[in-house]
Amino acid sequence: MTERVKKQYDELKKREYRNARNKERILVDDVRFDGMSRSDKETELFCKIIRSEDIVLREGDRIGFHRHRQKGGQWFPSGNIVPNYERYLREGFGGVYESLKRNMHKGDEAFAKNAMRCIEEVFAYCERLKEKAGKELRAALEVVPYHAPRTYHQALVMMKCIIYTLRLVEIPHVTLGRFDHYMRPFYESDRARGVSREELLELTEEFFISLNYDTDAYVGVQQGDNGQSMVLGGYDAEGNDCFSELSEVVMDASMELCLIDPKINLRVSKKTPLERFRYATEMTKLGLGFPQYCNDDIIVPGLIRLGYDVEDAYNYAAAACWENIIPGRSFDIPNFGNVVFPKCVNKAIEKSNGDEGFAGLLGLVISCLEENVDAAIGWANSKIETIVPHPYFSLFIDDCIDLVCDYSEGKMKYFNIGFHGVGISTAADSLAAIKKTVYEDKICTLSDVKKALDANFEGYEDLRKKLASCPKMGNNDDYVDGFLSFLLDNAEKSLCDKKNIRGGFFRLGTGSAQGYILKAKECGASADGRFSGEPFACSFSPAIGARIAGPLSVIKSFTKFDLKRVVNGGPLTMEIHENTFRNEDGMMKVAMLVKSYIEMGGHQLQLNSVNRERLIEAQKNPEEHRNLIVRVWGWSGYFTELDVEYQNHIISRTVFD
Amino acid sequence: MTDVIGRIFSIEEFTVFDGPGIRTSVFFKGCPLRCSWCHSPEGQCYEKQVLKSPNGCISCGACTSLAKEKTGREELIGECVEVCPRKLIRVAGEDVTADKVYHRVIKNKDFFSCGGGVTFSGGEPLMQADFLIACLEKFGGEVSRCVQTSGYCDNEKFRQVVEKTDLFLYDIKIVNSKKMKRYTGGESHIVLENLEALVGMKKDFIVRIPLIPGVTDTEENIDDIISLLKKYDIKYAEAMPYNRMAGAKYSLAGRKFMPEYDHFAPVNIPSKKFAQNNIELKIL
Repeated sequence: MTERVKKQYDELKKREYRNARNKERILVDDVRFDGMSRSDKETELFCKIIRSEDIVLREGDRIGFHRHRQKGGQWFPSGNIVPNYERYLREGFGGVYESLKRNMHKGDEAFAKNAMRCIEEVFAYCERLKEKAGKELRAALEVVPYHAPRTYHQALVMMKCIIYTLRLVEIPHVTLGRFDHYMRPFYESDRARGVSREELLELTEEFFISLNYDTDAYVGVQQGDNGQSMVLGGYDAEGNDCFSELSEVVMDASMELCLIDPKINLRVSKKTPLERFRYATEMTKLGLGFPQYCNDDIIVPGLIRLGYDVEDAYNYAAAACWENIIPGRSFDIPNFGNVVFPKCVNKAIEKSNGDEGFAGLLGLVISCLEENVDAAIGWANSKIETIVPHPYFSLFIDDCIDLVCDYSEGKMKYFNIGFHGVGISTAADSLAAIKKTVYEDKICTLSDVKKALDANFEGYEDLRKKLASCPKMGNNDDYVDGFLSFLLDNAEKSLCDKKNIRGGFFRLGTGSAQGYILKAKECGASADGRFSGEPFACSFSPAIGARIAGPLSVIKSFTKFDLKRVVNGGPLTMEIHENTFRNEDGMMKVAMLVKSYIEMGGHQLQLNSVNRERLIEAQKNPEEHRNLIVRVWGWSGYFTELDVEYQNHIISRTVFD
Repeated sequence: MTDVIGRIFSIEEFTVFDGPGIRTSVFFKGCPLRCSWCHSPEGQCYEKQVLKSPNGCISCGACTSLAKEKTGREELIGECVEVCPRKLIRVAGEDVTADKVYHRVIKNKDFFSCGGGVTFSGGEPLMQADFLIACLEKFGGEVSRCVQTSGYCDNEKFRQVVEKTDLFLYDIKIVNSKKMKRYTGGESHIVLENLEALVGMKKDFIVRIPLIPGVTDTEENIDDIISLLKKYDIKYAEAMPYNRMAGAKYSLAGRKFMPEYDHFAPVNIPSKKFAQNNIELKIL
């Protein structure tokens, strides 16, 4: 990295600037005016916060828009969108402002006025920023954000302006979308007029550093869970490969900096050459937990199957973690409920009278899945009712600008609800264990299992061991893998024809988000031998502690089901010992492994290079390992900043060496 | 032949340094040599062993108290596997048929298309030559079969194995017979005769050289190896620098790691010398 970048990088790593933050917090309820609508209040809050922000600039800063306030408003319940960056890069905030002004009478005038007020405040902030900015940033601010950018640098400043202003009012998980897609025209026109790759790499690195300055002030379940995910590559509807020189620059920047943001997702397919996987393996080797792979061959048809237009499906990007959403066109909420598979299996066992045989038990599992899905739908619908308006947030969904309406009215093209699928391997293992011990080997009855689960195996240690030694997911054993298909098939069937109260559909995923810890805590002992409260596997992976034949069997186990039906997302997660990455042979073979997974129909893959001993050491001496980065679920964070249960979960995952 | 029983200590998937492509390796139990740098002590003796991984042990005593109850001694027994709450205990040594090995490997055949396949390693697979042949026959024509060996076995048997193998990873450790005897307990002429047979039979093979500080990486030994390679016009070899984790599994096997060389000495990587002699040396 260049001197200039190095300097900014060092300042970031020292983290000292964070001590100077404004700790005062303004909440929406503090904004009191009689007769104000919620939309007015959110507008007022936005204006108040942005007006009170001090300008923070760093030496030689070319990007700007840094947070002064530690906390913005309050956790805003919506987010997790990929903003319509393309529109702002095309029209500027000025264009959007004019469009609202022009079309105000066609839609919700109150909304338009509030939205325009917010934009005016953004302009006012930019004026203040311009006064203090250095030469280069000042020059960029002469153009953006009012006008559309003309250079790569101006486009980066525009991006940062959007990210900063949205996050200032605690809109969580503002993601970055297909950066190499919407930035490509600017990158290429700069290149065409003679700007070197190195200069643009340097700018990209400064932009990435600026994405990391304020991660301590972002909201999330854990620090690092902030949604700054970026998607690279992919194929368009004509089959063209969208991976470009800019995609490479982004990856090079990410590898040079080794920061938690942006989190890189790489769209690939059967057509992706092995060399690209090999290149991406360099990134995996660094241990950051990037890239996460997304398979276009599965996700695009999966999205079309759900009802997305072909052109939109090809343009998919990842939300904060892995959830596949459509940039700028959707207000899909991909994490608005859970199907907790082990709970459904436990409920079925509870309901059983012991006489219905295994087929009868499976029937009960199906009805429990349906109950779970119905309850989740009910919950999601009731939550939709509570979605609060937000004029500024609405400006980042195209239809809200064109139809002049707040996003909370749900008039945008896509308003679909996604459910996580939590603890799938635990549930499949549990069914296999019951089938074997109760119905085949007949060493116990279902009522014995029920009693053992109720007692959390206390007094049933022998039975627990027998259950624990039954076939487990991750061994390419049809005996148990078939249950994963059974569970996903039935869960998906029970939600695929349902509509939410805004007319959108429901989508099932295989991700767990934090549910592998939090939902597992609420779930009693399970018939695979897991004690009450013990965590499930993260997302789509073999259960913690299960004996696994190896990575090949894991991949086979988890690609038997038609994953086009679960494209809400949720990656297969595997940890590989860092020694494997030590030379070209190892690197190439990891690349081949990933390619095989994609060819076999995997939907998403999260591969991590891990050294367990170092993690244990970091847990003991956190101060010496402050920069150790790990993948948690759909995001990466600093290991020592995680709660201990998340640390322990990472340590206890199977590492293949 | 398929009813021959062999003894293995593990089947591992995705072994990246055991031959080309994506591979699954079958580790045979038992080895006639006793190389003091050996990193898999559980591969040396043919007898089954109870192994306990010290990493993650919470010292709950469940294993030792069971052993004491059953045998009066604290030495771990097979039943201890079941009682360990952290699943740290396993038995190394499983008696299997070639058929069983075949099924456990071939279920992941889809991965082996790009030159990958099965590798028989150990221990020393040639020590169970009949079982090895049975395995090789089982996989014949379906996936690439690789044998990773020290070449230490009866020449007649060796030739039978060569017939049925697609690729050899052939260890040349020490050429000098006295030193070979001292550090590995084996006769170097057996290894050299089998190498000659291998060359004569025109089978694909890759010579692999473990680089052990002060033992195999010495000027003398490297010169000997280079002469040997030149004699057979071998243009490519792979070197495996000493792994300081070599001793890691000894405590697992209840043994003490006692290398007869300076464990901490830097390894001499003879890339230059090989290059001067027009032999490509890849470092693994």
